[in-house]
Amino acid sequence: MTGRRTRGQGALIALLAVISLLTVAPFLVMLVLALSPPGVQSIPDQLPDELTTDNITGVLSSHGMVRWTLNSAIYSVVSVVVILITATMAGYAFAKKRFPGRDALLWSFLATLMVPFQALLIPTFVLVSELDGVNTFWGLIVPTLANSQAVFLMRQFIRELPDELFDAAKVDGASEWWVFWRLVLPLTKPILATLGVFVFLWHWNDFLWPLVIAQSDKMRTLTVGLATLHGQNVTTAELMAAATVSVVPCLVVFWLLQRYLVNSITMSGLKG
Amino acid sequence: MTRRAGGERPWRVRLRDPVTGLLFVLPMLVLFVVFRFLPLAGSVGMSFTDYRINGSWDPVGLDNYQRLLSDPVFLDSLQVTLIYAAIYVPLTVGVALGTALLLNTVVFATGLFRGVLFLPYVTSFVLAGVIWRWVYEFDGLINGLLAKVGFEPIGFLQESSLVLPSLAVVAAWRGFGYSMLILIAGLKSIPDSFLEAARVDGASTWQRFRFVVLPHLRPVLFFVLVIETIAAFQVFDTIYVMTGGGPVRASYSLVYALFDQGFEFFDFGYAATIGIALFVIILVISLIQRKLLDRETT
Repeated sequence: MTGRRTRGQGALIALLAVISLLTVAPFLVMLVLALSPPGVQSIPDQLPDELTTDNITGVLSSHGMVRWTLNSAIYSVVSVVVILITATMAGYAFAKKRFPGRDALLWSFLATLMVPFQALLIPTFVLVSELDGVNTFWGLIVPTLANSQAVFLMRQFIRELPDELFDAAKVDGASEWWVFWRLVLPLTKPILATLGVFVFLWHWNDFLWPLVIAQSDKMRTLTVGLATLHGQNVTTAELMAAATVSVVPCLVVFWLLQRYLVNSITMSGLKG
Repeated sequence: MTRRAGGERPWRVRLRDPVTGLLFVLPMLVLFVVFRFLPLAGSVGMSFTDYRINGSWDPVGLDNYQRLLSDPVFLDSLQVTLIYAAIYVPLTVGVALGTALLLNTVVFATGLFRGVLFLPYVTSFVLAGVIWRWVYEFDGLINGLLAKVGFEPIGFLQESSLVLPSLAVVAAWRGFGYSMLILIAGLKSIPDSFLEAARVDGASTWQRFRFVVLPHLRPVLFFVLVIETIAAFQVFDTIYVMTGGGPVRASYSLVYALFDQGFEFFDFGYAATIGIALFVIILVISLIQRKLLDRETT
């Protein structure tokens, strides 16, 4: 029986290796094209004789790439920090406090999961533009902070923490604010790391909202910049160089936190 | 659930809770009221007006909804989205299920394979679109390889009949890793003793899959089907980057129609109505699939 299983393994591993190769192939193609000397038609005819970083330094010094990268970084990092703090605060209150309307409020938060953001795109745009938020960082960031998945995840996690911890601190005269910063946040560190990765990726890869709200060249995020670069007079090599630059932070985040990310999806069902 | 949500605690501590509880929820509550509940009400409200880009509007009753039902642009976009979903969902769930089963069986370098297969999921649809557009181009990867073996180039994004499958492949490539992870978790929860018993009874690999694995996996499979169907109905980024809704309107999806009516024609009232339609469609799909699941499990 075991013998039959191991004999089948070789073929299955080969199949898995082929699928894996096909999965990474587009990334490899992107990388080779980005590193090919300008004017050289490499893939699919041949691999380039020499590699160059000219295309990457080229796109970085033009087309506003640095600015767009900075905008994406601000959009993602500010969102991560604010969502982690506000969602933990709300999650703590929903898990450990009693206040009127608590359950109704929690369910109304959760109900918004059913509403796709695209259905709110027009009124949200009108609202932000009425408040003069078009082409501003707050206009870009603030509407994306109402995150029910984050609140629900934090509430589920904090519920499992023993009440005695918080009660003991309060009996000792600790303020609620102290309890939050010194107990709740440190205790939720593992789940905060996971959630942080997700929120970062959601924002770094976000497209439709930045596309409509950050229209000026100065305010564009990297995804919008990459999409607009397309129509302009750039070579394939330059386009792939820009694509390569845009994907680096995702890969870094992924490799740093692969274990967290993979484990948490299977546990919590977070969806990007 | 044996544990009460608030737990037991001294009453004097609990007394302070109503205020502090609300204060802790307040920042998120404000965000939700202003950027979720208000726009939702606004969306419904705007669908009964001819709201224009300059902020002026008149009530138009049900005009937008009547227009929706007779507008070929909208009805075609609905059809395009349905066809796209009919290709994307089986493709993605099929690949996710296949790779999940493979990863669950193979005992060599599983972590590495899993990581590699999940990799595209951490990148953006825009990036996927940029890379794959070149892959599909006439002087791109696939046609370059085809030319080597003497085939005519294929217009993956230029032919009306090929554009939706081509787009579905891109999104499936970008997204299957997530469903794969969920399905792996589902497979891991099947007790080994069940499979072992089936094997002892002489069940073939197919019979074990059909009569042991599949029934156990059904709820997880349904969950994956729901989220992928919802994802299919929201397709936009790859279309914006790769086809702009074309050729003609062969890839003009629901969300693309919403974007186009809103930000090319500045017909905000009508675009908001398309948004309501999208919301209702996704709601109905979730409810139908939930009903089916309930019937399966009871």
